[in-house]
Parts: sequence; structure tokens; C-alpha cells
Amino acid sequence: MRFDWSVITDNWPLLLYGAGNTILLAVCTMALALPGGLLLAALRMTPWAPVRGFATAFVEFFRTTPVILQVYWVFYVLPVMTDIRLSAFGTGLAALTLNVSAFNSETFRAGLNSIRPGQRNAGLSLGMSGWQVLRLVVLPQAVPRVLPALASTWVSLFKDTSLVSVIAIEELSYVGLQLRAQSFRVLEVLTAMAVLYWIMGYPQAKLVDWIHRRIKVAE
Amino acid sequence: MGWDMSVDLSPLLNNWRFLLGGVETTLLLSLLSIALGTVVGVGVGIARCYAARPVAAILAFYVDSMRAIPLLVILVWTFFALPLLTPYSMTPFAAGVLGIGLHLAAFVSEVVRAGLLSIRPGQMQAALAMGMSRAQAIRLILLPQALIRMIPAFGSLVVITIKDSAIASVIAVPELMRQSQIIVGKTYRPLEVFSFVLIVYFLLCWPVARGIDRIYRRLAPLGAT
Amino acid sequence: MTAGIAPIVEITRVSKRFATVQALDGVSLSVSRGEVVCLIGPSGSGKSTLLRTINGLEPIDNGTVTFDGIDVHARRTDIRKIRQRMGMVFQNFELFPHMTVRRNVMVGPEKVLRLPAAEARDRSELLLAKVGLREKADVHPAQLSGGQQQRVAIARALAMQPAVMLFDEPTSALDPETIGEVLNVMKRLADEGMTMIVVTHEMSFARRVADRIAVFDHGRIIEVGPPSQIFEHPTVHRTQEFLSHLGWDAAPKRNLESDSTGVPE
Repeated sequence: MRFDWSVITDNWPLLLYGAGNTILLAVCTMALALPGGLLLAALRMTPWAPVRGFATAFVEFFRTTPVILQVYWVFYVLPVMTDIRLSAFGTGLAALTLNVSAFNSETFRAGLNSIRPGQRNAGLSLGMSGWQVLRLVVLPQAVPRVLPALASTWVSLFKDTSLVSVIAIEELSYVGLQLRAQSFRVLEVLTAMAVLYWIMGYPQAKLVDWIHRRIKVAE
Repeated sequence: MGWDMSVDLSPLLNNWRFLLGGVETTLLLSLLSIALGTVVGVGVGIARCYAARPVAAILAFYVDSMRAIPLLVILVWTFFALPLLTPYSMTPFAAGVLGIGLHLAAFVSEVVRAGLLSIRPGQMQAALAMGMSRAQAIRLILLPQALIRMIPAFGSLVVITIKDSAIASVIAVPELMRQSQIIVGKTYRPLEVFSFVLIVYFLLCWPVARGIDRIYRRLAPLGAT
Repeated sequence: MTAGIAPIVEITRVSKRFATVQALDGVSLSVSRGEVVCLIGPSGSGKSTLLRTINGLEPIDNGTVTFDGIDVHARRTDIRKIRQRMGMVFQNFELFPHMTVRRNVMVGPEKVLRLPAAEARDRSELLLAKVGLREKADVHPAQLSGGQQQRVAIARALAMQPAVMLFDEPTSALDPETIGEVLNVMKRLADEGMTMIVVTHEMSFARRVADRIAVFDHGRIIEVGPPSQIFEHPTVHRTQEFLSHLGWDAAPKRNLESDSTGVPE
């Protein structure tokens, strides 16, 4: 078996470009999916049943179907249904955002519900407005509780960016697979791809563990 | 340019047998991956709790690496790169089971570890005080309780595996996702086909999730201390 | 004792239903300034529910609750202003775990009353000293015992300088050793003339400190009167039953009524 690693060293900038897009995609998705998740969580807690029902159906659907299929679906259906024409990157971003918003909304809902109602009553009995109760009593307690789950969701998102390679977005997986096809150095390229993901993903996984531990201790 | 109202269900009606074959493959792939992942995962989880330091460290590395690398990359590597290192060739399906299974095993091992660690140390002490060996205590006292506590987390891993099986389409495993892509390629009706397949996945996963919920609610008191 | 002065809290024929249960059934009660009224009765008889209707945490189906002449449940009423003039102490203390003891006491004056931080701080110092916990000011609630937490909760409520203090089973969640320290603080408050409405199971406290005691049963007040009446000559059979279950044997009165509905003041 002869390994020829020159294909990696020669194409280093391309691989870095792919990795950069991976990171960009993940960051943009989470930036949109955090408010998106909050919005969905809020919709699920409104008193109007049809709104609640729709939001719940939305969340359940995006959580129970494969992301790769959602990517394809958004890619083909979005232009037909809404007249919006996005770039491939935009489409991938849209699909991932919808998906992660659904997961985030569950996280936010669970976090808010875990605060004892007595805490709200205590704030109200001091004469606080509902808004003050949210700001001073509920949110400061809810945020540390949702942080570990959000961190885990981020790590999943980071890995799911690989799935948008199927609609030719030039993140790391797409770049890697193209390189493999062109260079025929299958083992070297695929291993390098895996290693690059590992370099990015391993510290993130450790960071998530640390967050989980820190929050537990602080409780 | 507007909403193309013509919904044409004929690609679904004409090819339902083909798609059904895809569903069967999806289920088989999921089942075998879950089996492999569970067996390996339970072993790794127990080993990480009770085995010697060097072994535990190697296993920790394996688990954390599986958490860091996307499943798509693992599947592609397993199918294209692994056969280059061994004298064996591999069918896409086999690569799918191996890749998804070993990836799942890492997460199963985390669940097992968490379950074992969640049991009060007093339980182990009580077992040892009765004269049991460590192995007996683990087998008779700790593991049964831990297994019950793990049911919800394990259940969600089952659902995730069914969803992840769709990624195997990338290495041409003839599961549902792949078959639907073929149909779309032939009939140019992605809206109908993909929407339908979304619903099928939903119908596959949702009852599993609810069923696991029910089972856990019945058994939960047995695992609580 | 306070005849002729308008009551500060007036509850008139209040009813409240929870799904299948009539929690309050035509309850009436008046509380005068400086009075200490204890609400006693079996669990689920409506005492805590009534307390929560006084500061509007619990809406009512019928009747009126007035505080200083203002209808608490009227739509036009600014309920926040009313709550600022009442203090509430909860069975589970409900201190804010993410704030230090000092901040817990300061947050009301500073954020709700909008006092300058320095003044809020001075107030908190005084009140923490008053409940005997000044040295714990920079600690978080999780590091305090139950009795200490409840005393902080009392200080937090007092920081708003309320006209009325509402206590919802303040000692029910405490270890026996720490109950005394909380009751002592409450007694001192009463001696200083604070108007207090207390839901409690601590009968010796009620007997010693209350000006009047209202006995609840199945959503109604079956008897109201000074401790001497309730404990020694109850006029209603259920009262005597309830008390003797708790170990208080009252001297039997000659003609005991077997039932009573909504005894007014």
C-alpha cells in the first residue's frame, strides 16, 4: 500500500476553504435558530389553540424526520411554494435553521417549565410586573439550565452541516468528496477529511462536557 | 411564476412497491445497526466504568471521536476507504450497518455510563456488604436499575438511528431516501415524492418515540431509588 | 379592639371554584389595622386559597376583596400597586436562588419601588439585622438552613414596607428545630403592630399571638373569634373536632351547634 499524501498538501487551501464554510454555515444557522427557537417556544405557549397546534406540529415534524431529507425538501420545494430563489448556501442555511429552531424550541420550553411557579408568584407578590418577573427572576434561572442542551445541539448542528454537501454547498464534505473523485486518492483524502472534522469537533465535544459539568456544580 | 397547483400523485402510485422496498431496507438497516450499536455500546459503557485506566482512556478516545465526526464522513470512509486497508470488499449495506452501528455504539456507551453512574454508591456498598463480588453486584443490582433508567435516552437513540439511516443514501444503500431520489430522478416530481417520504419517516419514528415513552412510564418505579 | 375604624382588608362573600372543587364558598372576613388574624383548618379547606385572593394571585368567581377601600379584583385596579403595599411569605420560602441574600432583600425596593441603590441597600441591612441574619448577607440561599431562608423571605417582604403581611403556612416546610426562630420573628412583628394574616398549623403560636382566629372547613369559615373562644369554648362542633385531632381538647360548651354557615364578624 502506498500512501501519497501530496494530494492533501497540494490542496490544503481548498480543504481549509471547505472547513471555513462549514464553520460559517453552523454559526449563521445557530444565529438564526436561537431567536427562531424562542419564537417557536413562545408560539407553543400562547393561549390560542390553532397557533399552538401549528407550532407543535412544526416542531414535531422537524424533529422526527431526517435532516438530509429536509435539506432536499427545502431545496426543491421552497422555490415552488414561495417564489423565493435562494443560493445553494441560502437553501442549506434555511433547512438547517428550520431544523435547529425546532430542537431549540424544545430546549427553551423545557427550561422555562423547569422554573417553579412559586418563583413567579414570589416576584409578583413583590409587585413586579410580568416583564420584570421574566427579566429578574425567570430568565436568569432559565439560561443556565438551557445552556448544556444548546451546547449539545450546536455540536450536532456542526456535524449536520456535512449533509448540505448533497446540494453542492462547498463545505468540507463536498470539497473532500470532490477531491476524492478527482484525485482517486481515496484513502488519503477521506482520512484527511475525517481528521479535519475531528480537529474541529473534538474540542467542541470536550467543551460541551465541560459546560455540562460546570452547570451541574453551580446548581 | 406562481404556485404550481398541479399535484401529481402518479409517481407515488406507480412506484409504491419500489418505495416499500426502500422502507424495508430502512427498517432492516436500522434494526441491525441498533443491534450492533447496543451490543458494542453496552460493553464499552461498562468497560469505561469499571475497566483499567489505559483501556478506559482508549475507549474514551473512541467515544469522543465518534461524537466529533459526522456520520456522513464515517459512512463514506467505511465504504470507500476501509476496503482499501483490508482484503475484503464491502457491500453498501454492510458498510451502512458497520458505520451507523459503531457510531451509535459511542452514544449508547455514554447512555450506559450515565445510567451506571447515576445509581447511588450505597447500592454497590450494600451489594458488596452482602458478600457479592463486583461482577455480581454489577450484573444483579446495578445493571438492571441502570437499564431501566436508560430507556428514555436509549429510545431517543433508536429514533435518531432511523433518521440517520437516510444518510446511507449517500453510499447508495437502497433504503427509502435513496429509492425516493431515484423516483424523483425518473419522474421530476420532487414535491410529491419528498413530501410523501417525509410523512413516511414521521410515521416510522413517532410511534417508536411514543411507545418508548409508554414503556418507560410503566417501568420507571423499578429503577428509582 | 379596633371597633369603629375601617378594616384594612375586607373580604365579602368570596367564592372560588377549581374544576370540580368549590375551594371557597361565600367566605367573609374583616381584618383591622394592627390585627393578627390566624386562619386554621384541615388541609384543603381553602385557607391558602383565600390568602392568595387577598393580593390577587388567585382570581375569584364571586364576591369582593377590598384593601384599604380598593377593590383588589376590579379590572381598573392597578394590582401591582396593591401588591407593593402587601408582603407575602410562602411555605417554600421562594427566595431567588440566583441572587445573594442581600440582593433578594434589595430587589423589591430597588426594581419595583425604584429607590436609589444606596437606600435599598441600607434598608436591606436594617431588615437583615432585624431578622438576625446580617452576617449572611453575601451568601446564596442554597447555603442557608430552611429557618434562615424563611427569615430572609420575611425580610424581603418587609423591605417593601407593607401595610399587611400575608403568611402562607410559613413553618410547614421547616424542621422542628428551626420553626421557633421563624415564629419568634413573626411574634416580634405582631408586637410592633403589623397587620398580619397567617395561615398556619402552629396552634400554640395562634393561641398566643392571634387577636382573632378563623376556622376553615370545606371552603367556608365555620367560626371566628378570639383564641380564648376558639380554644376553650368553641361554638361549633367541627372546630372542637379539628382541634382535638391536633391534641387540643377544649372544654365542651353546653349548647354546641352542629353546623354553621359563613359566620360574619
